[in-house]
Amino acid sequence: MRGYAWAFAATAACTAAGMAMRGRFDLVNIAMVYLLAVVIVALRYSRGPAIATTVLSVAAFDFLFVPPQGAFSIDDLQYLLTFAIMLAVGLIIAGLKDSLRRQAAAQAQLNLQTETERIRSALLASISHDLRTPLAVMSGASSSLAERGERMSAEERGALARSVFDQAREMSAHVDKVLQMTRLEAGAIELDRDWDSLGEIAGAVLRRLADHAASHRIVVDLADDLPLLRVDAALIDQVLANLLENALRHTPPGTVVQLRARRIDSEVVVSVEDFGPGLPDEAIERLFDKFHRASVEGSTAGLGLGLSICRAIVRLHGGRVWAERVSGGGLAFRFTLPVEPEPSLPAELATL
Amino acid sequence: MTTILVVEDEPEIRRFLRASLGAEGYRVVEAENARRGAIDAGAHKPDLAIVDLALPDLDGKELIRQIRGWSSMPIVVLSARNQERSKIDALDAGADDYITKPFGVGELLARVRAALRHAVRSPTGQPLSLGEARVDLEKRRAWRGTTEIHMTAIEFRLLTCLAKHLDMVVTQKQLLAEVWGPTHVEDTHYLRVYMKQLRDKLEADPVRPKYLLTETGVGYRLVADDT
Repeated sequence: MRGYAWAFAATAACTAAGMAMRGRFDLVNIAMVYLLAVVIVALRYSRGPAIATTVLSVAAFDFLFVPPQGAFSIDDLQYLLTFAIMLAVGLIIAGLKDSLRRQAAAQAQLNLQTETERIRSALLASISHDLRTPLAVMSGASSSLAERGERMSAEERGALARSVFDQAREMSAHVDKVLQMTRLEAGAIELDRDWDSLGEIAGAVLRRLADHAASHRIVVDLADDLPLLRVDAALIDQVLANLLENALRHTPPGTVVQLRARRIDSEVVVSVEDFGPGLPDEAIERLFDKFHRASVEGSTAGLGLGLSICRAIVRLHGGRVWAERVSGGGLAFRFTLPVEPEPSLPAELATL
Repeated sequence: MTTILVVEDEPEIRRFLRASLGAEGYRVVEAENARRGAIDAGAHKPDLAIVDLALPDLDGKELIRQIRGWSSMPIVVLSARNQERSKIDALDAGADDYITKPFGVGELLARVRAALRHAVRSPTGQPLSLGEARVDLEKRRAWRGTTEIHMTAIEFRLLTCLAKHLDMVVTQKQLLAEVWGPTHVEDTHYLRVYMKQLRDKLEADPVRPKYLLTETGVGYRLVADDT
């Protein structure tokens, strides 16, 4: 619609210009002014407005400038030719414009495909590494048990069976993360918010990670005045678990990992700090990339999805998440959760 | 002999359940769908049922409702991860506990034993032993070491409700309805406040509780030392 308004406006402007030029310039030059209008409209808009401009221009030119003025008469072959040329120019330019636009769209589509392709191959690469290794262990260990089990000591059998179990757990955790990230990316997760206590969520996480965390000392320091938060507890549980597992995985055994939470103004800031080797600043910035991991193809497991899952979950809750270096060389991962006014508390009835 | 009904459509999962439950001395009856499960539950009168929530013919929680229509046998459900909602629905439909796939057999046997114990033993009048703390729910008295500690009426009611399902999970809704009444089932913040009070009074390290456990997004579980 805007294109047609412009067709009309451009013709009107040329007519005004033509009126001013009349007497001093040849009719053919006035026709050139109209041609300019056709070119401009064709460049800015599509074929339709270009044709409209041509028709309007020729009509205005013929009616107002070509003798006899004030009447339509295209008896002169000359002006028919003017009309034909204007139309041809308009159509050619509009055509060029369309094909340019199509090319640009195709290029953008191609860029998007390349990006999707890049992410997909990164995902495949990390899946194939992180899932193949445990699969190899599992098939090796279980076939040893099935085919050679009777020749082994009970101790050896136990160790093999245990490694199948451990690797399966590890793999299951990887698969969960991939699925979770896919769901978060698709926006398929709706928060199931409820009043919850960070301390309780942390307690459940620490209990679950107890075996895993035996190699380190986890120090918990939650402020006494932490308010209840309106969160999806199961998702915040995942954030804490991912951050803690991350710290355990990337720091030497025997070191301390600290879980802290403080209320600062209208937010609760939760930190997981470690005393490991830390990372250079550039690397810290890249930590939250989807498939990044600190040591590429290293023996340390993990799809590198954990942190991007954390970020997606915290953002869904209206919080921020970041990493920074702490004095002593380690890393701190911090996230915030907004504090909302707490609902009124139950009054304990004396009669109960 | 204790009989356990396993309702699970995956043959490989039935296989290892049969092997490990059999090795523990239980008799195992297997059903591959909910329809078969309902029939076997009636025919074999098992002492406990293990029900997968994702069955091919009927939602597992429908089967739980059917069984609950005529039996109070303990029911433990198998559910997938990240599905708190379906766990809660199954528990509210009458299941006694749940276990999340993938699970180790140790976890499974612990759940099974707790559910069976609960079925045969109605809550005893014996005081609860929670590490250093002891609570006599009947006399409404509590001690930490040798010092008596004060617990409010609501704290006692909450603990009593959890103790009725000792070792098993109780959903938030069940607790709220039982302690504060059916109009308060949405007031989950009550639970957070009172659970914290209970832990502060009874747990040695309230942040890492050993007895008053949170099942995040689902409910709470009270465990106690064997007495």
